[in-house]
Amino acid sequence: MQLVRNWFNKISIERIQLELMNTAYGSGHVFLSALDPRCMILWYLFFAIAPWFLSNMIVLAGLFLLMIATTVLSRVSPFIIFVLCLGLVGQVGWLFILSLFFGGDIASALPLLKLTLKLSIVSLASITVFSGMDPERISDGLLALGMPAAFSFSLSYGYRILPVLFEEFRSVLLSYRLRGRAPASPGFLYARLGAYYLKMLVVAFFPLMLATAKRSRTTVEALETRGFSFGMKNPKSRQLKLSHLKVTRRDIAFLSGTAAYAALLFWIGAAYPLAI
Amino acid sequence: MPNSDKQDIPAIEIRGVSFAYPGSEISVLQEASLTLKRGTFAAIAGGNGSGKSTLCKLFNGLIPNYYSGDFEGTVHVCGVPAEGHTVAQLSRMVGYVYQDFENQLVRPTVFDEACFAPLNYGLSDYRLMASKALDLCGLSDLRDRYVWELSGGQKHLLALAGALSLEPEVLIVDEPVAQLDPQHARQVYEVLRRLNRDHGKTVIVIEHHADFIAEYCHEVCLMESGRVLWQRPTAEALNSLDDLDRLGIQPPEVTRAAAVLREMDNARTQSDPRSSLPDRRSAGRHAAQRLPITMDEAVAHFTTFMQSGNGNLHPSPARIPASDPDHAGLSGSSSNEVIRLQDASLHYRALRRARHQVLHALNLTLFEGERIALVGNNGAGKSSLLKLVAGVARPQSGSVTVLGQDTRSVSLEQLSSGVTLVFQNPEDMFIEDSVEAEVSHCLRRRAYPNIEASVANMLRAFRLEELRQRDARLLSGGQQRRVSLAIGAAIRPEIMLLDEPTANLDLSTREELLGALEELSEHVRTVVIATHDMQLVSRWATRVVVMHQGEVVGDGTPDEIFADRELTRRAGIAPTQTAQLSADLGIRPLCRTPEELAKRIAERMWGSPNERADRPSGNLTHKEAEEHAARSQLV
Repeated sequence: MQLVRNWFNKISIERIQLELMNTAYGSGHVFLSALDPRCMILWYLFFAIAPWFLSNMIVLAGLFLLMIATTVLSRVSPFIIFVLCLGLVGQVGWLFILSLFFGGDIASALPLLKLTLKLSIVSLASITVFSGMDPERISDGLLALGMPAAFSFSLSYGYRILPVLFEEFRSVLLSYRLRGRAPASPGFLYARLGAYYLKMLVVAFFPLMLATAKRSRTTVEALETRGFSFGMKNPKSRQLKLSHLKVTRRDIAFLSGTAAYAALLFWIGAAYPLAI
Repeated sequence: MPNSDKQDIPAIEIRGVSFAYPGSEISVLQEASLTLKRGTFAAIAGGNGSGKSTLCKLFNGLIPNYYSGDFEGTVHVCGVPAEGHTVAQLSRMVGYVYQDFENQLVRPTVFDEACFAPLNYGLSDYRLMASKALDLCGLSDLRDRYVWELSGGQKHLLALAGALSLEPEVLIVDEPVAQLDPQHARQVYEVLRRLNRDHGKTVIVIEHHADFIAEYCHEVCLMESGRVLWQRPTAEALNSLDDLDRLGIQPPEVTRAAAVLREMDNARTQSDPRSSLPDRRSAGRHAAQRLPITMDEAVAHFTTFMQSGNGNLHPSPARIPASDPDHAGLSGSSSNEVIRLQDASLHYRALRRARHQVLHALNLTLFEGERIALVGNNGAGKSSLLKLVAGVARPQSGSVTVLGQDTRSVSLEQLSSGVTLVFQNPEDMFIEDSVEAEVSHCLRRRAYPNIEASVANMLRAFRLEELRQRDARLLSGGQQRRVSLAIGAAIRPEIMLLDEPTANLDLSTREELLGALEELSEHVRTVVIATHDMQLVSRWATRVVVMHQGEVVGDGTPDEIFADRELTRRAGIAPTQTAQLSADLGIRPLCRTPEELAKRIAERMWGSPNERADRPSGNLTHKEAEEHAARSQLV
């Protein structure tokens, strides 16, 4: 029980906020952040889509190894990895248990393992990109690849107001707690206390949304006075914003290195078709 | 962009503007006319809802281009007609800093934020412009920092830099003092003054804090119900006491003290048959003379005034008690202790796994019946201390005992039945959709008896009956504050903690708040207020705890604290003008209100009121007496 309690104490909103912000912005010094965001996004697109069309275990395993390497390079926080593992194991574990009910046996675990592998590759690729590059670079990359200015701005602004939203959310939750009543006993396995907190998390969204709506009035007005909508239609502005993007030799080396590795995997995969 | 021959063209020219927001019948502006010269530093003052912000939104074309309501009249900005120009075009000439400036920061880092506007306009030397703006605001050292790591004052300066980056002619700043502590507000004003004096910018502030107006502004435009009532040089404006009084704007304390004294002097000379002719003439001279509006002026004014009191200076009367009765009572009362902090330390984690120590092994004991003011500059740890007491944060080492319970051993929900924390920002407390529901939320959740009656009682006590069905988020600042106090008081706590209750209040609402605090003292045993508002401290508190860098550096009565120059300087607190002035004039104990100060000066010059009991002494002494009588009943 003490364990559960400790976990409750560890997982605070504050902590989650910190980890998220660390993941998003704490990457300035990482090798991957120096790469051109356009290249990174293209790179990511390949690894987000290709695995779904592959069934060769050797190729998948090879890609998975590569993803582990890039994830390590992006110095992601252990917390995120933990959440990822929890999600993967939880998801696939459920499927496996269900398959046992429907007459499956240990053999049915193998295809599930493949699914897990695919999911892992896609997830790790996402983590690599979102943790290895800060949102500003991603947003610039998207703009350069032809996404509308409003979209790329919303992405960077979305990250920017995360701390504000968290702050707001925390104070709303606090208001509920300061004026609410916690269950007298925590219940079996802290179920009652858990339900109390979960309910609070849900109802807290309503005040949060209203408060945010009120804030955005000023934001929208201020954007207007600072020439935002003018800039969106201004090709000069777009050009200036993107002028710092350059594809360097490093980017080419990174992309071609990855391509060569993938080609090698496909070649081996073709030689030893280990499809399940 | 403007040439030098355009120097004569006014920065802002408005003729007969009327405006109603879309969907509203009421005209916020009614035939407002105003001309502001280039290079002026103007304050726009007026009561709540007088149309100050709306007026300023004319200057960059937000009205009528962005808010397309019923609009009449003409607006010229630096000679350019606002009509036919977009907000973006006008904004090149007019920078705007909002009152809730945090919501206008849209980029993650300081430098990005400063680049934002020039980038939008596609100006190729945007980096240079941003650097220059940051430099002007003194933020160059912070250029790579994230916005959410900045303090409130730094954020305000950043919003200013963001507006400055386009090198506008005109800069509008909406209520800089409202959301900032006095020290940071002063810092912002110093920057504004430099921009005005050295860089020739036209600066317009919406402001009702008269001491800031007196110190920094050249002229004042007074608004009343959508009209510009008058536009006068600052000294003359702050001497227009009747108008200011009517619109709920408090003149500087020194001006008030001088006005009261002048009134007393006039009453004395006119009614006193023994007073000589020269005396009467001097009364006439006083009436015509302009009253002081800043500390320096006040010191000179009162010194000459007291010297001109034809030499019969009475020595400081010994019968004035050495210490005020309601201040003296408390140290001897040695009543029950309600809050005890023992070596309590607190740190937060920050980005990049940094640790931020906010409280260092704090020791403090607070007793029942005390009215405690927690003072110190931003980041001194006031709010953190309140959080520790409320149980919102737990000390990482040491202990906090509240009402006999260790805060680590009870849940927040349990603790909060005896202690309430009223947040600095009332909006953060609103979780229901009507005022009535807000006030009753906790009572219903915790199944208090007689909910209906106590809610009705609270609504009446805080004058919220009319607003009971309204959504609290949509009320004015002062009304929101009253709701937040009612929420806190409704559960009848034994300890009430208020974080900056007077922040963002105009002065009439502030007076209301003082009334509400008196109301509270009937229900609550101990009240702790964290505040920057030294007027509140000197009028309300019986004990002042001074914090500095996470430690308690001073603890005593307001008199003791304000008299300690070294301490106030170190902790960055500015005693009230009244306290400073009484210290400068050698009047001890320090006075708490301008009226008291005037009375004491009068006593010094013409003897105590008892000695001249036969003379009418104006309605002031009467008021004072009332006030004292009222005070002694409290606590």
